[in-house]
Amino acid sequence: MLSTETIYFVIFTSGLAVGFGHCIGMCGPIVASLSLNLKGRSVLVPHLLYNGGRITTYGLLGGVMGATGSFTLVTARIASLQKIVLVFAGIIIIVMGLAMAGWLPLGSIFGDHYNPEGLLSRGFRRLSETKSTATYYPLGMLLGLLPCGPVYTALIAAARAGMEAQSALRGSLIGLGLMLSFGLGTVPSLLLVAKLADLGWLKRRDIFYKVSSILMVIIGIYFVVKGIRY
Amino acid sequence: MGAINSILTILDHFRHLQAGRPLMKLVVKATLFMTVLCLMTFAICPRASNAERKPERVDCDVHTGPCSGSLKDIQITLEVEPKPVKAMKDLTFTVTFVGEKPVTNPYIDLGMPGMNMGRNRVILKPAGELVYRGEGVIVRCPSGRRTWKAKVTVPDVGAVEFVFDVIY
Repeated sequence: MLSTETIYFVIFTSGLAVGFGHCIGMCGPIVASLSLNLKGRSVLVPHLLYNGGRITTYGLLGGVMGATGSFTLVTARIASLQKIVLVFAGIIIIVMGLAMAGWLPLGSIFGDHYNPEGLLSRGFRRLSETKSTATYYPLGMLLGLLPCGPVYTALIAAARAGMEAQSALRGSLIGLGLMLSFGLGTVPSLLLVAKLADLGWLKRRDIFYKVSSILMVIIGIYFVVKGIRY
Repeated sequence: MGAINSILTILDHFRHLQAGRPLMKLVVKATLFMTVLCLMTFAICPRASNAERKPERVDCDVHTGPCSGSLKDIQITLEVEPKPVKAMKDLTFTVTFVGEKPVTNPYIDLGMPGMNMGRNRVILKPAGELVYRGEGVIVRCPSGRRTWKAKVTVPDVGAVEFVFDVIY
């Protein structure tokens, strides 16, 4: 039997491995879409917030798994919510794609800002920038609920640790810690994708954004269809 | 983190080169665009993004009976219950040996062929003479792939794999 500290390390390295071996392919498009939609703004803070939100959800799920000690019980309860989140993620990607290309009169969600002169207007702009960046945290929390094989696997470990714990509280804390470790392990790969998809430093990038917009719409539709069929 | 820093350094280098050379500028733009394009295509074609492109051979029908294999001189059977075997359900894995009794308890690693799903290990405990049993869950992959493998490992002896389809 592995010690608790060893399990934390094992699950962290597991997150690191699946991050580069799995998440880049499955969640990379969502992260790339978020980066593209930033249109030249720094990707680091928004993506750290996005990852923070995602890890928060993982931690909460891990806590519940650890407290109940049952993986199947909890996942059965959240299955319909995950289906909705999958569809919602698709819709977000479609809207971001359409807005990025200027095909929707919404401006760029989380991205562009009204840029007038004047003290009050500048203040409003700063506030709106803060708000739009902060949006990435709840967005990450929501998308942390996306159905994902490796996350399920980590949650099984959290539930198992909870089952072996002496009390529900202790099980909950261990489950929380395990899922936080797992989530932290997946961050480097997704930050790398975020940076690679950041084309903001290119001088003439309109054509890239247009083509990316089309891809984002196709991916969004794919997510919606997947969500409906899930 | 070292790999990430290296890639970021390369990106900065490209950014510097972009200022002076038109050809380099084009190459950099095309490379980055293709990277983003590939990432996005992965979402649409998760099967194509799979490292192992050939279809995995399903060698066992877990829904109708046990799977059999051999490891050196030991015959190993794997039974998964309840049947039919469904993902996201509590399952009981029973491994039975014919021949020599293993010195250390065996264990099962569940995974998908060609896709890293994280460490999903079923710990087996003795449940009779040459019989080991444990509980586990096969998770559902949103890509829609249903082929899973159970790798039964006997410490210090070796491992045998059983590939089968599950029901979602």
